Amino acid sequence: MPRSLSPLSVPYRVLQRGGGIAVAVVFAMSGGFDLPGVGPAGPLLLFAIAGVAALGLIGYETAYVRRFAYELGDDTLDIDSGVVSRRSREIPIRRIQNVDISRNVLQRLFGIAVVSFETAGGGDTEARLRFVSFEEAKRLQAALGRLKRANTESDDGERDTDDASDTDDASDTAGDTDPGATPAARPAGSTGGGFDTPPVTELFALDRTELALVGALSIDFRVPGVLFLLVSTVGSTVVPAYLLATSGVALAVGAAVVLVGVALLSWVVGAAAAIAQYYDFRLVRSGDELQYERGLLQRYDGSIPFDKIQTLTVSDNPLKRYFDYATLYIETAGYAPGGGGGSRGSEAAVPLAERDHVLDLIEELEPVGDVEFERPPKRARRRYLVRYLLVVGVLTGAAYAADAAVSLPFPPWLPAFLAPLAVWFAHATWKHRGHWLGDHHVVTRNGVLRRRTKVVPYYRIQTVIDARTVFQRRLGLATVTVDTAGSLSLGGQDAAAVDISGPRADGLRDELEARLDRAVDAYRAGRAGIGVDDDYDADAADATDAADATDAADATDAVDATDATSAEPESPAHGPDDPGGDDPPDDPSDVTG
Amino acid sequence: MGRAMLTAAILAGVAVGIQRFIAPPWVPEWAPVAVFVGFAGLGVVLAVLRYRVWRFEVYDDSLYLERGVLTRVRTVVPFVRIQHVDTSRSPIERLVGLASTVVYTAGSRGADVSVPGLEAGDADDLRERLKRLAIRSESEDAV
Repeated sequence: MPRSLSPLSVPYRVLQRGGGIAVAVVFAMSGGFDLPGVGPAGPLLLFAIAGVAALGLIGYETAYVRRFAYELGDDTLDIDSGVVSRRSREIPIRRIQNVDISRNVLQRLFGIAVVSFETAGGGDTEARLRFVSFEEAKRLQAALGRLKRANTESDDGERDTDDASDTDDASDTAGDTDPGATPAARPAGSTGGGFDTPPVTELFALDRTELALVGALSIDFRVPGVLFLLVSTVGSTVVPAYLLATSGVALAVGAAVVLVGVALLSWVVGAAAAIAQYYDFRLVRSGDELQYERGLLQRYDGSIPFDKIQTLTVSDNPLKRYFDYATLYIETAGYAPGGGGGSRGSEAAVPLAERDHVLDLIEELEPVGDVEFERPPKRARRRYLVRYLLVVGVLTGAAYAADAAVSLPFPPWLPAFLAPLAVWFAHATWKHRGHWLGDHHVVTRNGVLRRRTKVVPYYRIQTVIDARTVFQRRLGLATVTVDTAGSLSLGGQDAAAVDISGPRADGLRDELEARLDRAVDAYRAGRAGIGVDDDYDADAADATDAADATDAADATDAVDATDATSAEPESPAHGPDDPGGDDPPDDPSDVTG
Repeated sequence: MGRAMLTAAILAGVAVGIQRFIAPPWVPEWAPVAVFVGFAGLGVVLAVLRYRVWRFEVYDDSLYLERGVLTRVRTVVPFVRIQHVDTSRSPIERLVGLASTVVYTAGSRGADVSVPGLEAGDADDLRERLKRLAIRSESEDAV
């Protein structure tokens, strides 16, 4: 049975659309606006036009809401919409990446919500219901999760209980599906919606101190820009006159005050925004889904199926590392970075939490196990040293050049004192870099000031890219990048094992491909996502051993070992037209140290 | 190669323009020619090198590509991850009877994988072959 939007969305939509127009009209009226050729009847005419426009708007929005119909079927979500041009869509439920509910203050007052369905295709949100009642939104979210489970895991019978006979809308929908495949449905008292959800366990909640910390650490760098724009447009006549009138000392003091004020303001704005964004952040696990809630004014409420998680990223900086805090990003393929307005979509992220807590959370989401990073070879450190010393050298040179042109207030050799810093930084860069192959995941870590640890399940690998610059080749180094469909990866932030030895990179490339193959096989064997399989485990362990043994010297051995493991009858990773081991064609110049 | 020539020609044009309109005294008269020859030579060398480095192999379950003169890039695209395959022919390519096959994955570097400089027929063959291989190894859920 097709459903329609909440009737309350008509007034809200009218308000939303009409608000701007009304303001414009009022502005025109108060300005004593005179229509040419109408004379004194001008304001009346304007009123009439505004009235007609308002009626038209109400009519249009009513029609829109009335003609909007959606239906959650067994395996598709059907949406018919449009007043003038009709559009009807069918979205396969299994392709839906995540479901988000958002409500701002006014919407909460009305008791309505926006529901967004994300799919992996394209940058935009695939479908948006504006607006349905909040209960309906929650029901959709829960029903989708359930349907998806019923779809993907038809062998899920053991979780089937009989209390799906609850007389509720939700069980109606569930009743449409094959009863044998309907997974557990238990009445959830806590959510208050009266529909059935699987048991909910809380994974993480942001407490007050952490929220305060998040706020304190957020500075909105856009504020100075906006202020500058305001001053330069509004105060362009006042400011210069004022500047001319004041003395030099007063000017300096004034400038300092303004500077401090701007800094303070951007900090306050940033803190307020962060607190409003992450207020009452909760992350819960509900069956096979991850659900999050956050926001003070605008409430977000989203669900991410576990098997749609692409990458987990732990981000920290020296300060956070010192205090044992970290940030966690959970990427799915659904979101377009920067596409969702201010806050980088509504991607789920734990803004700040104690390190152990984050690690526990990762363990819960993706059982990675103990990670032992393998660092790049020592010669990579030499490379960083040269690189940073070069920077220092260039700085010093620039200082000398500047000194020759205009005399600097400090001696030109001052930047040379940065050399020890460069040495330390080179070591730190090397120290924080690493990669690790687990049973089901590849983990990479890069960066000092903004260190990112990325966890990519083998199953999520899209392509493997091995790049070597001229300088890397001179030292026999390579960078292996693992491309996923995750949304954060666009800014060149893919998981990458940077500056590993050339032979190791060759091994890694084949290894990753073989493991992806096995992960896909395991997935096809009926396990959602990164299912645990004893055979598979043994295989992976072997392979890890082989990979660990890889060194510049016995790289070929390791590659052979990889071959042996991947040549299982079930998954012939490398085939006949690839004779004599799959040593990729190795340019001899690549290996010279 | 063609692109290199074009770049060289454009740069030479810029040089001519500079000489004609700004005419700084330190630019000798033969500068545009020198610019053209220099860049054309460089472009040709680069193109030749690029061609020599360029290679691709269709393995049993992945496509392997190697390219790049200064930065050597090797890409492995598992067939399971192929979303769709295109053949494209730019005007220059059509002029010399070549075509490229572009392989798309769901990854963030989606269109990064292309096999340029194939004969038109070969490109279509490769496309069909990749398509078949991709369908054969199709997974339930590529994303």
